[in-house]
Amino acid sequence: MEKYFYQDFNRSTYHQQLANGLNVVLMPMPGFNKTYAMMTTNFGSIDNCFVPYSGQEPIHVPDGVAHFLEHKLFEKKDYDAFDLFGKLGADSNAFTSFTQTSYLFSTTSHLHENIDILLDFVQQPYFTAQTVQKEQGIIGQEIQMYDDDPNWRLYLGMLGNLYPHDPMHIDIAGTVESISKITPEILMENYRTFYQPSNMTLLLVGNLDPEETIKWVVANQEKKDFAPQEKPDRRFKLNDPTGKDVIPFRSLTMNVNRPKVMVGIRGLKSFDDGRARLKYKLAVDLLLDVLLDDTSDNYLRLYDEGVIDDSFSYNLDMQRAFYFAYFSTNTDQTEKFADEVMRILEDADQQIDQAAARFEGVKRGELGRLIGLLNSPETIGNRYAGQLFDGANLMDEVRMMRTITLDDLKAAAADFINPDGMSVYQIVPQHQ
Amino acid sequence: MHYNLARGVNLDVIPTKQFKANQILINFTTPQTHTNATARNLVANVLETSSKKYPTQTALARRLAQQYGTYISMGVGRVGLLHTVRLKAGFINDQLAHTNLFDQVIALIREILFNPLASDGAFDQATFARQAHNLGATINSYYDDKQFWAARRLLDLYYADDSVMQTPSFGKASEIAGLTAQNLYPVYQSMIEDDRVDILIIGDLDEQEVIRAIQQLPFNDRQIDLGQIIYDQRPYRQIQRQVEYQQLSQAKLNLGYQLPIHYGHALYYAGLVFNGLFGGSPYSKLFTNVREKASLAYYASSRLMPFNGLLTVQTGIKSSDARRVEELINAQLKEVQEDNYSDQRLNEVKAGLINQYRSGNDLAGNLLERQLVRNLLGVQQADIPAAFNAVTRAEIQRVARSLKQQAVYLLSGEN
Repeated sequence: MEKYFYQDFNRSTYHQQLANGLNVVLMPMPGFNKTYAMMTTNFGSIDNCFVPYSGQEPIHVPDGVAHFLEHKLFEKKDYDAFDLFGKLGADSNAFTSFTQTSYLFSTTSHLHENIDILLDFVQQPYFTAQTVQKEQGIIGQEIQMYDDDPNWRLYLGMLGNLYPHDPMHIDIAGTVESISKITPEILMENYRTFYQPSNMTLLLVGNLDPEETIKWVVANQEKKDFAPQEKPDRRFKLNDPTGKDVIPFRSLTMNVNRPKVMVGIRGLKSFDDGRARLKYKLAVDLLLDVLLDDTSDNYLRLYDEGVIDDSFSYNLDMQRAFYFAYFSTNTDQTEKFADEVMRILEDADQQIDQAAARFEGVKRGELGRLIGLLNSPETIGNRYAGQLFDGANLMDEVRMMRTITLDDLKAAAADFINPDGMSVYQIVPQHQ
Repeated sequence: MHYNLARGVNLDVIPTKQFKANQILINFTTPQTHTNATARNLVANVLETSSKKYPTQTALARRLAQQYGTYISMGVGRVGLLHTVRLKAGFINDQLAHTNLFDQVIALIREILFNPLASDGAFDQATFARQAHNLGATINSYYDDKQFWAARRLLDLYYADDSVMQTPSFGKASEIAGLTAQNLYPVYQSMIEDDRVDILIIGDLDEQEVIRAIQQLPFNDRQIDLGQIIYDQRPYRQIQRQVEYQQLSQAKLNLGYQLPIHYGHALYYAGLVFNGLFGGSPYSKLFTNVREKASLAYYASSRLMPFNGLLTVQTGIKSSDARRVEELINAQLKEVQEDNYSDQRLNEVKAGLINQYRSGNDLAGNLLERQLVRNLLGVQQADIPAAFNAVTRAEIQRVARSLKQQAVYLLSGEN
């Protein structure tokens, strides 16, 4: 097991890849009561076209399979994994994103037993026609609930603008229609392909003894037989890597009190190296802060003109195969908001020059916020993005953030900001 | 440690090396009235965004960024019949900031609370107008969340018409038009001079340094009688019912039950365990039977409001199932009333509550909130895992039998 000590934080991390390929990452947090565990497969809703395990030809699977599989994995022939955690008082949960599926528990006792439950239920699939049918009803309700959520519709609408012909524009849960096509066989085919240990990471953060913990994990894995590992052959390809397919504007009418608007910008530059990608991400994070955080003149002006209010937010969302930034607000001046944000983005180079004096403060702000996140085992776990950032954790992020310079911002702006990649999506109330 | 700085002004310091960032909570408490919630929320918004030295949000935000992303936010809340304005601050440890942040943060808090952007007994007009407008918009936008909408409408239906509980802690958008930069100022003054103040600080800090710094804040003696805290009302003879229609794909059915078991009550922990069995946990009757087995709801949960004498149930359903879901919910309640659940289930729920409590000890903000509630209610810190473990089936049955269904609200998608 490799150990790395972060003297500046007085914390250590441990990593080991097991014989079956499973990556294990341990991050003890002295003084904490809770342990947070995540078993993650590098498989999400966009992975809907691939060569199945030991197969030859690529197949297309119905939208929403990854999320459906996540729901179904808890249920076994004569028990529900959820209840096993529950007996020990642990909280358990799971989530599916565009590019990953994670199974979680958090506990303040019985860590060893909880780890066994987690590994066992994820590694022992059980799907039947009857349970699949029941789940179609539950997930159908879940999809409908998201349909009523204007913030989710805004986000998904923007993805539809930025990636109109790629799987990111479809709800992670799929549609009522697509999930009706899911069968136990389809679930099993996806499972065999993407739930191989070599495509998964077990991460534990918080109250734990690393030496003891790794022994428990190894003992659990050695008891099981695994088929030969095969790297999943994804056939994901962006419809247009140059972003020429971006839809510049769409509008949706919904039952909301105030209009909502989002400006998105699609990133086009691609990276082979995880750390270079992370550095670029942090530079763009700082770039967005410099342009529009609450210390900027832009923010004050737009706020005073009533173009934005406290609902204004922005973010850079970076996942395997795609990334984009978005700026959103509730406002009565949707058009003005869109024009202003796009103008500020296009003018980034000059904006950075004007902000030189403010840069140190902006960077300190980001550093402080990142360091504050080190109080939360969940945040440390959820932020860990595996290969995407070459195994970097939150402490690596802080260290790298300390190195970002104004020149890095300029370089990032030149790469990231491209007028063809920009788009606007808005939601307006029915009565207007 | 607990300190009394002046009459009605308290300080609690919790030194710990567990966290990489420290937190401060300053809580102002006064009885809620029919009119003070909106005004106090607006005061919180004005203070949070401006001061004489930092007259714009941007100037303030720049100062905060310089202090390594220190945040100082203000908001409102309630504890039963009490209205609270809360200032929360968070800042990283000196070792990671390589500077002494604590004194700088206290200086900034002092500036925000005691040197507001005001003159001649009125807040700055432009700041006031902008914050008033934004607060109205913010309150209105809460209601875009249909779960929130349904929860609030159920409370409107449940609380007696003349009760101050009818007004949410964040106030009403309709009351903002009646507020001015002039008439808001005395609301601020009264908060600073008359409210009970609880200051709570947690982190890797020297206790004596903390006391020395906090004593510099000019809080004087004040009245400390907060009056009644726990809210209770006479039950209705008939269940209050309301149906509203909106265009949405998932209907919301919310139910309210009177439950006179409040924080500090002999059956309080039994009440929490009951809630876990009934609908407050994923191992509950509502979750397993209404959501999972019958597939009748995407979510179905219950919530105990231990300062308000109330337990609520919230579900997301198909409109046409409303009657069936209500029957099924009451059938689940009857099961608990008839002592019909396994020991295993009971142990799971208790273990879950204990786990939740212990996990809460890892959240600095949570430790401060717990201490605040103990201070306000005058309750001593208890051995909470032991209290959960001591709850008996008979106690749970007594809790279950004391529930009285009082209100049913349906937000329907079909007219």
